[in-house]
Amino acid sequence: MKLKVLPKSQRKHNHYLVLDIKSEEELTKNDFTSIAWEACVRFQGENNTANFNLWTIELIENSEISFYKGYKAILRCQRDFEDEVRSSLALVNNFNRRQISISCIGISGTIKGCSKFI
Amino acid sequence: MFDLNIKGSSYDMNLKLAVQAHNYGWRHINFSYNQNEYDDALTFMNDLKEELKELIDIDCTLYIESNNPSEIRKTVRKYRDRSSCISVLGGNLKINRTSLENNQIDVLSRPYLKRYDSGLNHILAREAKENNVAIELFFTDILKSYLSHRSKVLANFRDIYALHRKYGFPLILSSGAESVFDIRTVKDFQSVFEQTGLSSSEVINSFDVAKNILAFSKDRKNLILSGVKVVGQ
Repeated sequence: MKLKVLPKSQRKHNHYLVLDIKSEEELTKNDFTSIAWEACVRFQGENNTANFNLWTIELIENSEISFYKGYKAILRCQRDFEDEVRSSLALVNNFNRRQISISCIGISGTIKGCSKFI
Repeated sequence: MFDLNIKGSSYDMNLKLAVQAHNYGWRHINFSYNQNEYDDALTFMNDLKEELKELIDIDCTLYIESNNPSEIRKTVRKYRDRSSCISVLGGNLKINRTSLENNQIDVLSRPYLKRYDSGLNHILAREAKENNVAIELFFTDILKSYLSHRSKVLANFRDIYALHRKYGFPLILSSGAESVFDIRTVKDFQSVFEQTGLSSSEVINSFDVAKNILAFSKDRKNLILSGVKVVGQ
């Protein structure tokens, strides 16, 4: 049996981060999710990360420059914790011993609103 | 949005870094070169400035790396008129002290480098304030370290923040980027330092300090003594 959806007033408020990713290694959506979680757990700790309500909405392959692959991603996080999440992601610098960089290029309250940053 | 220390290299690499910095919202960056590379860098810097005129302001920082105080003094005297910013790599207590006592030096960079403490105390903090020498913290020191080493770097940063609040010496934050993978957006950069214990006004103030250093260096010829300046006729 499925749980009933919570009434709107009692749901968590989310914001969506639009991320610009440069990686020497090819990434999948699962890879990106684990990178984001690990970055937050490492920098903010287990207790704080529990508040973030992280969820990868989309990972879009963007461009392939000579020495790295470019991606754009939309990551959901809970409202009021955007700064904690973006600082944790900014401190990611390698994945599988290859260089990676994640920068937040926009924040929106809706997924639709993210389209203007992509 | 001023970054006074991005590691400079060849013309093409600098161009890539500058374009990336522009895309991420930076308005002015300085490429740093040590005393052995600085003269070569100046040869192509004007062309680079011309090419990036529409996008972003760039300039050169002399980044002195030496363990000899008298060599530092000599180098500063030699390059003072030719560089917009002179920065000295710290870490050694003698070097930290020499740099902070010399008002010809603009910045003491990373006083905590390879140390178990922040490399500053109340006496050095007071010297920094008196001689108007800024203390520079590197974003890449947090970025490229992990686990216990990162915690120690952050602990050193917090010690410096405490001294900065008490003694009011100028503090600047730089990326220290060596490649496009090390550059972040301005807002990301700010939020990392806010998470480490600085307030948002202190972070913004650090950008203003960087701006003031460049403005002061441009006008240095007209400054006869501290507080005495030749004004236009």
